[in-house]
Amino acid sequence: MIKKTYSIPDMHCSNCSMKLESIEDDLPGIKEINASYHKQQMTVEFDESQVSEAQILAAVTKKGYTAEEQKM
Amino acid sequence: MSSKQQKTTIDPVVIITFGVVFLGVAFAMLLFQSPGGGGVAAAAGAGLWSQIVVAFVTGITTGGLSCLAVQGGLLASSLAHQIEQDYLEHAAHKRRHGQKLQPVVRTSSAFPIFLFLIAKIVAYTLLGALLGWLGSYLSLSPMTRAMLMIAIGIFMLGNALRMFNVHPIFRYFSIEPPKFITRYIRRTAKGTDTFTPLFLGALTVFIPCGVTQAMMAAALGTGSAVMGAALMLAFTLGTSPVFFIVAYLTTELGARLEKFFMRFVAVVVLILGLVTVNSGLNLVGSPLAFANLTRGLFPSESGSASVTGSPQPAVSEGGLFLQVKNGGYFPQTLKAPANTAVTLNLVTNQTYSCARDFVIPALNFYELLPDTGTVQVNIPAQKAGSRLFFTCSMGMYTGVILFE
Repeated sequence: MIKKTYSIPDMHCSNCSMKLESIEDDLPGIKEINASYHKQQMTVEFDESQVSEAQILAAVTKKGYTAEEQKM
Repeated sequence: MSSKQQKTTIDPVVIITFGVVFLGVAFAMLLFQSPGGGGVAAAAGAGLWSQIVVAFVTGITTGGLSCLAVQGGLLASSLAHQIEQDYLEHAAHKRRHGQKLQPVVRTSSAFPIFLFLIAKIVAYTLLGALLGWLGSYLSLSPMTRAMLMIAIGIFMLGNALRMFNVHPIFRYFSIEPPKFITRYIRRTAKGTDTFTPLFLGALTVFIPCGVTQAMMAAALGTGSAVMGAALMLAFTLGTSPVFFIVAYLTTELGARLEKFFMRFVAVVVLILGLVTVNSGLNLVGSPLAFANLTRGLFPSESGSASVTGSPQPAVSEGGLFLQVKNGGYFPQTLKAPANTAVTLNLVTNQTYSCARDFVIPALNFYELLPDTGTVQVNIPAQKAGSRLFFTCSMGMYTGVILFE
């Protein structure tokens, strides 16, 4: 299980965070997504053996957003 | 395989929904045009009826779009999507079992959305009643109400600047609902029974949009459960058509279109915010209020009447006369002698607007005038050159007494 934080610069309301968090219901292997409109970022905790980072980023794009990984 | 292949027909539920909304608009406009024409306006109290109309119009314009951004995108679309999915699954099941596939009947998606909106309207009306009741418990004085209005106005201005993306700090004007609530709502949306849309509609009270939050504050400010309920009912009824259209068409707004809507909402919220702050300033009796600033710059000669040589008949010697009408106070500028106590006669004649709710902030005077009659206010001696602002309790109608 790994945790990654992404910057989502095109969030423009609190509904965006709800939309992004709904990805956790769409993809198996995601334990939790916490998106924040205030911080313009999204933290994803996922199981690499079940879901790839590319799949997560594709799901984000499908929702209409762009994600960039934030190096901790 | 998509339902888009199916021919869409005009649904009776759609016609009924729009019929109800347009009748509501027509009814509201009719009453708004003749505020003194009926018992409803009188029962609604001073100017509160016009507040309801404003709430409805706010709902149908900015509220609808704003709610769409916060609740519509997820709830209505996912609900409609879910119904679409249910239908497809149902159709597939029938096909598997060799049953004749019936054509798509859009009522199957329109009805749950209708239920969703009904539940939303009921929930917000109850919330309005609760807020109004809380407001009455707090018994808001004009000064408290003024502070509340200024706070609401600042909140709206902050939200407008947030929507314009002026600075990241303004993002904090958007209240994010707790994660456990959004998660719970999202997962409940996966239900398929009739109860689900009803429950979801009611749950939207937990994720109000910026305009809704401002309207909730206004409901609190009414200080009456009935008025609070009426205000929220009018507002949510107004938001319903946009909500319904989007949910019914089951199209998720593209980011570009959503941004366009947000710009439009931002402009309107910005104007509403400025108007609300200005009303609050009027209610405080601030010389910084727009009307008071411009009155100083461009004194209206025609609007002035002095205590001496007043053309109006005197009720008592040395009295000032102010006509309190549905459209405001006449004259807007009164002149009175300095260093002498004067009597201000407030004359109403079938006045039902908020002008009846008369406030002189500096004297801490507040009274709901009778719809017809004369009320006298004793004004203590004021220094030469001083100004005494008066306003209605909503900060809409204003005027000033100049002491010379």
